[in-house]
Amino acid sequence: MHTVYSRINNVSAFLSSCLMALLAAIALSSLVFTADPKGILDVQSLNIYEGHTRRYHNRWQDVTFVNFNLTADLTPLFNWNTKQLFLYLQAEYVDAKGVKNEVVIWDRIIHKKDKANLSLNGRNKYVFRNLGKSFKGASAANYTLKYNVMPYVGLLTYGEAARTGPLAFPEKRTEVA
Amino acid sequence: MFADELKTLRRLGVRHVLLQILNFASVLATGLMMWKGLGLVCNTESPIVVVLSGSMEPAFYRGDLLFLTNPASERYHTGDITVYKIPGADIPIVHRVLETHDVVSKDKGYVSASPLAQKQLILTKGDNNPVDDIDLYQGLEWLERKHIVGKVRGFLPYIGYVTIAMNDFPQLKYALLGGLGLLALVQRE
Amino acid sequence: MDALQAKIQSIFEGKIDFEGQKKVEQISRVTLVAAAVVSFIVGFALQSLRATFVIFISANIVLFLVVVPPWPMFNQHPVKFLPAKSPSNDKKSS
Repeated sequence: MHTVYSRINNVSAFLSSCLMALLAAIALSSLVFTADPKGILDVQSLNIYEGHTRRYHNRWQDVTFVNFNLTADLTPLFNWNTKQLFLYLQAEYVDAKGVKNEVVIWDRIIHKKDKANLSLNGRNKYVFRNLGKSFKGASAANYTLKYNVMPYVGLLTYGEAARTGPLAFPEKRTEVA
Repeated sequence: MFADELKTLRRLGVRHVLLQILNFASVLATGLMMWKGLGLVCNTESPIVVVLSGSMEPAFYRGDLLFLTNPASERYHTGDITVYKIPGADIPIVHRVLETHDVVSKDKGYVSASPLAQKQLILTKGDNNPVDDIDLYQGLEWLERKHIVGKVRGFLPYIGYVTIAMNDFPQLKYALLGGLGLLALVQRE
Repeated sequence: MDALQAKIQSIFEGKIDFEGQKKVEQISRVTLVAAAVVSFIVGFALQSLRATFVIFISANIVLFLVVVPPWPMFNQHPVKFLPAKSPSNDKKSS
């Protein structure tokens, strides 16, 4: 501690230990907040059309279009260590070949607490298609609204905010109604 | 200038130098051991990674430090943030899982309940990218477990920026070296 | 040239005495721990990470300003060396 250099060295070494302890305390503090808000998710319409997708340009494939209605108040998930909320709508089903599928059809990033009280009509953002050519023979699908809380420091946490009952896939439509 | 150093070296003898080397080697070995041990526990080749691209902004910025695990018994879910490495690509990518398809192989010789027969096909997307990652897969149609380095569990902001800054601004490296050199010259024993 | 170098060196080194070193050690330890605890509590109470880091960083800037330069208050107990003995005395005593 006798020269400027050694003082800077010593103090910044202790500073970094304190900073690490502070960050650890902040990360642990988010375990105190255990909010588990629930919302309501309604799938209003399901339609299947045949179309081209980005993946296979030269192949016809069945594509499902989902319209849904969503109300959820997710503000309790925001605390001092919440950087953002990643909200996503996922469809779960088993197709005719016994393949278990989870497909995200819509998502949204929420940065601010005052935007976390949601009430919206939406439709799928991402192309919803099966591994094979069609959805024929697939089981009824569950639609769930899930969230991922992303902290400034610490562990990522996941949760489920809403769920629909199983909804069967409709027959394919040939012309646009 | 080095006469003093040579004199001290002669005074301390070979044993002292060897001890220094041994100390240095043990520090290196401890570091490596901890890294590999952590990798073993987390079942991933690199349990801590630095974010190099901005495709997951605003979730992760360049320079953020991510802690990964990759338990073999756990399947991947949509919404998980994974780090994957495509064979032939030089840097790993941090993106979120968009689709999973659990295919059970019907091939002869496989029992359908065994993990060998269960293949999970995965599609990912960066939160900040408008479309999914097929174009990044270099010809692969889906990701599989073997491509995935780990799932992101924890997060520390900005700490890794030092390494990125060194690469982005080579001047910084020289400034650092110059500063250290100056310090060594100015300082008295 | 040597004189100039010595002067530059002494500015860069900023030596302080033993009592000063003890004081610096105590000040830095107490301030850092207190800054971490206070900033955490205030930030948690206000539910704002910004408050936490503003407090922590400003406390650290003040700490570095107090501790790093060789202020006169760290040099109030200079070491008193014994007067130099002449070589002849030295020989007799040994």
